[in-house]
Amino acid sequence: MKRLAIIIATTTALTGAALAADPWDGGDDLPTNPLACDDTPGTVAAKDYDGGQTTGAADKSGKEITLIDIPKLVGVGYFAATTEGMRQAAEELGNVKVTTDGPTEANIDDQITFIDNYVTQGVDGVLFAANDPVAIAPVLKKALGKGIHVVGYDANSDPDAREWFVNQAEFNGIAKSLIDQMAAEIGDEGKFAIVTSTFTTPNQARWIAEMQAYQESCHPKMEWLETVEAQEDNILSFNQANTLINKYGDDLDGIFGMTSVATPAAAEAVTQAGACGETAVVGLATPNAMRPYVESGCVKSVVLWSPVDLGYAAVYVMRAVVDGDLSPGDTEVEAGRLGKLQVVNGSEILLGSPFVFDKSNVNDFDF
Amino acid sequence: MATAAFSTSAGYRDLRRMVLGQEMVLFIAIVLLFVVVGLINPRFVAERNISSIFLGNAYIAVAAIGMSMVIISGNIDISVGSLIGVLATIAGTLALNGVPIIICWLAPLVIGIAITSGMGAIVAYLHIPSIVVTLGMLSILKGGLISVTGGAWLTNLPPEFFLSQTRLFGIPTPIYFMVGLTIAAAFWMRLSATGRAIYAVGGNVEAARLSGIDPAATVVKAFAIHGFFVGIAAVLFATQLSVIQSTVPPNLELTIITASVVGGVSILGGTGTVIGSTLAAVLIAAIASSMIFVNISPFWMRAVQGILILVTVLADLWRRQRQRMGT
Repeated sequence: MKRLAIIIATTTALTGAALAADPWDGGDDLPTNPLACDDTPGTVAAKDYDGGQTTGAADKSGKEITLIDIPKLVGVGYFAATTEGMRQAAEELGNVKVTTDGPTEANIDDQITFIDNYVTQGVDGVLFAANDPVAIAPVLKKALGKGIHVVGYDANSDPDAREWFVNQAEFNGIAKSLIDQMAAEIGDEGKFAIVTSTFTTPNQARWIAEMQAYQESCHPKMEWLETVEAQEDNILSFNQANTLINKYGDDLDGIFGMTSVATPAAAEAVTQAGACGETAVVGLATPNAMRPYVESGCVKSVVLWSPVDLGYAAVYVMRAVVDGDLSPGDTEVEAGRLGKLQVVNGSEILLGSPFVFDKSNVNDFDF
Repeated sequence: MATAAFSTSAGYRDLRRMVLGQEMVLFIAIVLLFVVVGLINPRFVAERNISSIFLGNAYIAVAAIGMSMVIISGNIDISVGSLIGVLATIAGTLALNGVPIIICWLAPLVIGIAITSGMGAIVAYLHIPSIVVTLGMLSILKGGLISVTGGAWLTNLPPEFFLSQTRLFGIPTPIYFMVGLTIAAAFWMRLSATGRAIYAVGGNVEAARLSGIDPAATVVKAFAIHGFFVGIAAVLFATQLSVIQSTVPPNLELTIITASVVGGVSILGGTGTVIGSTLAAVLIAAIASSMIFVNISPFWMRAVQGILILVTVLADLWRRQRQRMGT
């Protein structure tokens, strides 16, 4: 009976806590910079270079370099696509060898171990997509200290822990694109919920904060209901989306998926609930994962950049750094087929504006 | 609990009474949760939400049946999450290559049994602790899966492949699997010679040997049957969504082991039931869903799972101490 008492007590305590708690929005507390509601491009604020620098790097200008790429995790379509872009860039350049290795789960401790091992073994450069911007900094600084060049892509670290960061799209750009797509589908007074990976994942938290800022200024009558966590887990995302559908019923007009796992799972939940057309799904995802839902018409638009281009640009940026073609203070960098890319925000290189996949073009992509 | 004193043999009746207790506790906790959360938000107890809770977690309950048997035998399998990921990918790949659907569904069972039997044999005959053997298998499967698939998702699967999306009399098929397999396994564990032998080996291996049970063979059998349940869980998992992720779901083994342990299966072996583990899987899933319905920060979800594990393990240790003092 003691156990029963414990469980009853736990349940009661949780219920009590529940009644007091506000829903969690999943955004971070950093300042936001929403874009204009029309298509006016955002202004690039002048900012001094704030990246780190290597100490005692060998001059490998024009010579063959060996790079290691440590994404957040390996084995997902998204990072398979960045790897493919890196391979394409290396092939074009001819004097770059790049290998991808990394943890099989998006775990910062494992990622640090991987980077540390390669730094110890010795490489010319490290490309990374951080699982945690702060925790990853010491091992990256260690690499810089050993003369190893460090360029981030996809998910940033503290700026002084790497030389450059290739920014796939500015947060406010993605946020605008997502909210505008959703507003187009559910109207200016629609109610929406968000399925994200975890509340501490830097990209997702930043996007959500910017989405809220943009929605408040440009679509003030839309209503944000709730954000739920779903890791990067297919079935958990599906379950969480189902729970949202069950909780809000007809009040739920749209679901945002914030990861390439959550978005198709949300689309699946809407499909299986027979709610296509009633509950819109807009999100960030790879075209392959979304193809069935885009083709069936259940999902109208998927917002993303091209991860292939992202990996491609990261290798070009690294080559430019090694060759001395990209130094602090420069305002642009040449990146092969992508042309000249802009330097923004001190030490970041902007890939371009987000890309919207829909029924007309989803079959043109394979990643 | 004072009656523990007259169980002179620390025997079967005593054991059954104890675990029946755990099942009852879980059952009451589930009912209580549904009543309390249902009062706060009636949509929680709508048929559609209850169906979602069961449907989305049936594969965990099914895998926990096999896991419970392995833990009762005094072992553990931490490769189970990776194994489900691999078997799901195999099923999907076969389906994409035009193999008859029934074979796509059966192959994970056969391969699952083969892999777990192999691990069981290494544990039983080479006397290597199961946590080491299955940890090794976890790495092999996880690494192997990623190197073979490259993380590419499986899409465009044939529509008849999606077993978990079918319904029978309006109820999702996976729920029948969960309930049916739990009842069948419960009877089998109680009544069959092998089932009883699994309890005996996990409880006291020397006593089991003296009473004519072959402990090594029993452990292999427990692992083999576990493989059967893992295979079914993998099919339910693979056929739930229209795409297969072809990676290992994060922390799946933890969720499955949690269901077994919270279900009253002693982590030290020898006691527990599969009814308990299924009820625990349902309880954990219902708690996760309820937290969204009553707006609790999901940060609490892991803490709640942790508290559940600690409370049950402590209760188990406390129960064993009482038992020792009673005899």
